[in-house]
Amino acid sequence: MSTINFAAREINCKIVYYGPGMSGKTTNLKHVFSRVPGHLRGDMVSLATEDERTLFFDFLPLDLGTVQGFKTRFHLYTVPGQVFYNASRKLILRGVDGIVFVADSAPDRLRANAESMRNLRENLAEHGIDVKEVPIVLQINKRDLPNALPADMIRSVIDPGKELLMFEAMSDKGAGVFETLKTVSRLVLERLSKNK
Amino acid sequence: MIEPSLELYGDAYERVDQQLQDLLDTTGVRYGLLVDRKGFVLSHKEALWAPRPPALDSVATLVASNAAATAALANLLGERTFSEQIHQGENGTLYVESVGDDTLLTLIFDSSVPLGKVKVYAKKTVAQIAAILEELKDAPTVQLGEDFNRGVNALLDDLLG
Repeated sequence: MSTINFAAREINCKIVYYGPGMSGKTTNLKHVFSRVPGHLRGDMVSLATEDERTLFFDFLPLDLGTVQGFKTRFHLYTVPGQVFYNASRKLILRGVDGIVFVADSAPDRLRANAESMRNLRENLAEHGIDVKEVPIVLQINKRDLPNALPADMIRSVIDPGKELLMFEAMSDKGAGVFETLKTVSRLVLERLSKNK
Repeated sequence: MIEPSLELYGDAYERVDQQLQDLLDTTGVRYGLLVDRKGFVLSHKEALWAPRPPALDSVATLVASNAAATAALANLLGERTFSEQIHQGENGTLYVESVGDDTLLTLIFDSSVPLGKVKVYAKKTVAQIAAILEELKDAPTVQLGEDFNRGVNALLDDLLG
């Protein structure tokens, strides 16, 4: 659950971008960083390898502003997508309030999408989080690939019940990035206001 | 409920602030932060003479991630957790100690401050802050209504279009 700091009257929410390696999680954050005015965001922290693959996480604090006297702030994180980094990927899910699952449209990454979603469910379960309890938004990324699979086909593999909201995106051009973030933020805050 | 929520408010908040201030005054530490395990700053104090601190959000996130990684390492080695971490550089020191299960006391100081002294006083502060946080566990949770929802949506529209 979100951290609420009463004296400073702050509400803090943690949003994690999840998905298979190279699906575009860091690119999403970079786009947000480049488009949000400086006074509303903090520094972006990237713990990446030399070839810019995320090693531990990327982090971007984002200020929404003040609502009813509460300063509302989001912390955006990405996880390393590569399969063998699960130990650190699991750590980043700790205390998550909302998740963006970034799926890759390339035909040879379909299986990776499925595995990453399964891994997400397993890791959430280990934190004692019910998948149904945390808002998850699906982003089908890289729609501009010439051989991109149909979005519905990708969805049928990772979200067969069609329970999640889905957005198509081209994160390197910024398309769909803000829509996804806005939706997950809204879901997180809605949940907060209903929380008893 | 996903993670125990931590709420610091009113009088309790001021008492935590005061504990940090006292610790800074007695030891000569530059910056003192109380960070939750998710990487959010709950409270922070800086010495009047100290230069502007680095981005506190970044510090808090890295300290919390580091603590999470170290705790995972501790589990591998059969420990429940490592409660204390010290990182020493050429000019300064970062000292992190767990306060209860949910928060971390983070102290940053330069090499003129003896580590032993900081450790002694920090332990005392940790015990006192832990007691305050313990009291807060019984506090009622906040109620945010429909108005809040509407206000938030308007802000989201502004920011993200």
